[in-house]
Amino acid sequence: MINSLFNLALDTLLLFTVTAPLVGALASRIHKRSLTGVYASIGLIAAGISLYIMYTNFSSPTPTTGSGLFSAIVRTDMLSIFMTGIFIGIGLAATVYSIKYMEKDSGKPLYFTLLLAMISGMIGTVFAGDLFTLYVFWELMSISSYVLVAFRKETWEPVEAGFKYLVMSAAGSATILLGISFLYGMAGTLNFQGLYTAFNQAPSTVWFYVAFLFILVGFGVKTAIVPLHTWLPDAHSAAPTPISAMLSGVVIETGVYALLRTFFTAFFSIQQQWFGILAVLSILTMTLGNVTALLQDDVKRLLAYSSIGHVGYMLAGLAIGTQLGLTGTLLHIFNHALMKSAAFLCAGAIIFRLETRSLKEFSGVGRKMPITTIFFAVSLFALIGMPPLNGFISELTLLTAATTANVAWLGLAIILNSILSAAFYLRVLRTLISPTLSDVAQKAKEAPVIMLIPIGVITSLIVLFGIYPEPIIKLAQQAVAGLLPAMTGT
Amino acid sequence: MIDLSYYIIFSLGLYLIGIYCLTTKRNMIRLILGIEILLNAANVSFIAFGAYALPGFVDPLSHSIAIISIGISGSVSAVALILVVYVYKHFGTLDVREIRRLRG
Repeated sequence: MINSLFNLALDTLLLFTVTAPLVGALASRIHKRSLTGVYASIGLIAAGISLYIMYTNFSSPTPTTGSGLFSAIVRTDMLSIFMTGIFIGIGLAATVYSIKYMEKDSGKPLYFTLLLAMISGMIGTVFAGDLFTLYVFWELMSISSYVLVAFRKETWEPVEAGFKYLVMSAAGSATILLGISFLYGMAGTLNFQGLYTAFNQAPSTVWFYVAFLFILVGFGVKTAIVPLHTWLPDAHSAAPTPISAMLSGVVIETGVYALLRTFFTAFFSIQQQWFGILAVLSILTMTLGNVTALLQDDVKRLLAYSSIGHVGYMLAGLAIGTQLGLTGTLLHIFNHALMKSAAFLCAGAIIFRLETRSLKEFSGVGRKMPITTIFFAVSLFALIGMPPLNGFISELTLLTAATTANVAWLGLAIILNSILSAAFYLRVLRTLISPTLSDVAQKAKEAPVIMLIPIGVITSLIVLFGIYPEPIIKLAQQAVAGLLPAMTGT
Repeated sequence: MIDLSYYIIFSLGLYLIGIYCLTTKRNMIRLILGIEILLNAANVSFIAFGAYALPGFVDPLSHSIAIISIGISGSVSAVALILVVYVYKHFGTLDVREIRRLRG
C-alpha cells in the first residue's frame, strides 16, 4: 500500500492546496488569469474521485489503521465520507462559479488557495479521529474563512464584518480548546473511542458539566445557535457570493457535525440532560432566524437569517437523538447544503448583473433573467419544504422522528416555522416576477453560462433527490450507524 | 506539590479576564489581546493536566498540544492584525464603537 499522510481524499486536496499558489504565479506570467480557478476545480474533481475510491474500499465502521504517516489521528467511517461528499460537491460548484464571479478582482491565486484550504480544513475536521486534530483542522477552516469574508478589502463592509466574525469565532475556538483540555484532564485521552469508553458512566464531578458547557458554547458560535448568532448575517452577506454559499451551505454544518461527534461520544452518558437544553435552543434558533428574515431588505441577509432557521431544524434532530432523528439531521445537512448554495448562487448571479443587493431593486428582474429565476424559484420552494423537492423529505423525517420519540411539540415548532418561512421566501419570488421593472432591472441580461452550469447542476440534484431520495436516505442511515458506537457495539 | 485545582482555578481566572477584556474594551488591539489571553488559559490548563496525568511523569501529549496551539493562535492574531490595518485605513480609528455600521 502506498504511504500517505492522512488519507487519500484529504492528501489529494492538500497537495492541490499547496501547489495552487505556484500555478497562480505561472498563470500571471503567461497572462491566463483564470488558470488557478481551473486548477482548483481539477483538484476538487480529483479529491472527489479519491473519495469515491475510499467509499468503494470502505468495509466496516471501525476506525482503520492505515500505513499513512499521521493515520493514527484519522478516523474513517461512513459519516465522514458522507460529509466529505457534501463538502467536495458544494466546493466544486462554488469554485467553478467563482471563475466568472471573481473575474474583475485581483489576487485570484490567493482566493482559490484559501478556498481550497477552507475545504481541506472542513474535510480534515470530519476525518479527525481525536478532538485535538479536529480543533487543528477546525482552525484551518476558520482562519481561511476569516480572510475570505474580508477578501474584498477595498470596501468597508467586508472588513468590518470580517473583524467581527474573527473576534467572535476565535473566542469560540478558545472556549472549545479549554473544554477539550478539561476532557483531556479527566479521561487522559482525546481519542473519540477512548472518550466514549472513559465517560461511559457519567463522572460525578462538576468539571464534566463545565467541559460540556464550554464545548457547546464554542461550537455554538460557529453553528450560529441563537444567542451566539450575531456575526452570521454580517459575515454571510459581506463575503463574496460563492463564499457566502460555502459559509451558509457547509461551514455552519461542520459545526453541527462537531456537535454530533462530541455529543455522541464524550457526552453520550448525559443525553437525558442535554436533550432539554438542545430542544429549547433549537426552537429559539429556528424562530428567531425565521422572524428576523421577514424584516430584511438585503437579499443576502435574508438568506443568511434563513440559514439560522435551518440550523434550528438540524438541532431539533440532534436533540431528539434517536436513529431516525439523526438520519433527519444528516439528510437536512445534505439537503440544506444543496438548497442554500443554489439560492445564494442564484442571488449572486442577479447581484452580478444588477450590482445591488436590495430586494426592492430586484423587482421584475425575472423577466430579464428567466433561467436564473427558475433555478432561484426551485431552490426557494425546496427551502420552504414543498413536496416534490428535497427539503420536504428531510423536514418530514425530522417530523416523524419527533412524533415517534414523543416530543410532538418539537415537530409542531418545525411545522409552524416552515409556514412562517414561506412568507419571506415567497416575497422574494413575488418581487422577482413583479410586472413593474426597476431601473437597474431594465438593463439586466441573462447570467453568464459558466455561472449557470453549477446552479443548474445543483438545482437538478434538488429535484432528483426530492423525487428519488432512497440512495441518500440509505447513505444517511449508514452514516448514523457509524456515529453511534453505543448502538453498533464497536 | 501544589494541588491541581489551583491551576484549574488559575486558568478559569485567565479565561474570565479574557472574556472581560472582549466585552468591555473598545480598542481593537485590546480585543486581539483578549483572544490571546483566552487561548493561553486553555494552554495553561493543558500543561497542568499533563503534569498531573500520572504521578511522577509528565504527559508529552499535552506539551505538543500546547505548542501547536500557540502556533495556531499566532496565525489567528496575524490575520486579525491585518484586518485592523484595513479597518484603520477605512475608518481612521481603532475604536469599535465608531465603526459599528452593520446591524448584526
